[in-house]
Amino acid sequence: MQEGMVHPDENIGLRKLVLYRDVVFTEAGEAPAQPARRASVAAVIRNPWVSAGPSADLSREQSHIAPVLAKLLTDRLVASLGGVDEIESFGKAAIVGTSGEIEHAGALIHTPYFGNLVREFLQGESIICFADTRAEAGETLIVPLWHKTHASTRSHYQTISARVSDAPRADEIVVIAAASTGPRPHPRIGDRMTDPVVTTESLEVVPS
Amino acid sequence: MSVRKIVTVVEEIRTEGGREVDRPARVAVVAAVIENPWAGQGFVEDLAPGIDANASDLGGLLAPAVLDALDAPAEAYGKAAVVGLDGEIEHGSALIHTLKFGDHFRKAAGATTLLPAIEKRGPAGVVFDIPLKHITDATIRSHHQTIEVRITDAPHPNEIVIALAAAAQGRPQQRLAPLSTEQ
Repeated sequence: MQEGMVHPDENIGLRKLVLYRDVVFTEAGEAPAQPARRASVAAVIRNPWVSAGPSADLSREQSHIAPVLAKLLTDRLVASLGGVDEIESFGKAAIVGTSGEIEHAGALIHTPYFGNLVREFLQGESIICFADTRAEAGETLIVPLWHKTHASTRSHYQTISARVSDAPRADEIVVIAAASTGPRPHPRIGDRMTDPVVTTESLEVVPS
Repeated sequence: MSVRKIVTVVEEIRTEGGREVDRPARVAVVAAVIENPWAGQGFVEDLAPGIDANASDLGGLLAPAVLDALDAPAEAYGKAAVVGLDGEIEHGSALIHTLKFGDHFRKAAGATTLLPAIEKRGPAGVVFDIPLKHITDATIRSHHQTIEVRITDAPHPNEIVIALAAAAQGRPQQRLAPLSTEQ
């Protein structure tokens, strides 16, 4: 075995998976020019660090669990949105149960063992935007999405909700990947290329 | 029928009670957010024209979609109507409590029983539970189950959420004795 090689552990304590997908047909009474499908996929796993304390080294478990989650969640996302080529924007999130630390959520979504692989599986280049929180079961988390190759593309700034009615339990973590096949329904707030220069001087007003 | 959005939820349960389930337990919901056909009309005495104009189309839209989302033969099913705050619960009931709606699902699933249902009124983001029972024998206790749904921005006051739910099996780790053993 190669030194330092990581072997993802299939036994990640997975309790359930929840897919949430929506398709907007009309918004403000009109059909979008480019109707987008958006989806989030949530995996409920046991928190491997409950009672571990704030000085515990998180690296071993994150390298074994996060790659399995990245593959599982992106496979479901791609299948539910019609293929990886359809996906234009992405995001990620985690909800840690009340016996865990936010740091535990971060360990599973903010390291290369999750983020790099999600980006690779979804064929993106951007940093992946995120949300995380600690909450009781049934909390709705709003997951931000942005463009997978051009993060500053303003038309693709959007969110989708993720919620598991009976998770996370106190000793669980909900890990989420999310994606969209297009922009907001009627994007019309310009972009960096079209923005005027806005400063207090250009507005001839100093906010006070 | 004016559909604003369609929401799909699929749950797959791998462990329950700390034990793996024999095969992953799948339950799917597909919900259409539609404009309330009677919105802004005051008290409408005769709901039949609105039912005729919408109920069959809704059943035809949702039944294949929920079976597709389930991706397995359905063994249990249920339905729901959640009316926005400006409507009557009667409006939601009108659209789901008609054979014109339910027969699409029965036919597509090979089902024979009546669909268990909930009807309620609430704000956008209201949580609702859809009850499911066995598709050919509503007394089969192993298949009595529910799935919880929430759509953050629906129903608006002038909208109705109409949903169908389907399960590919009974409850995970179901182990209650059949009803007949108590008779």
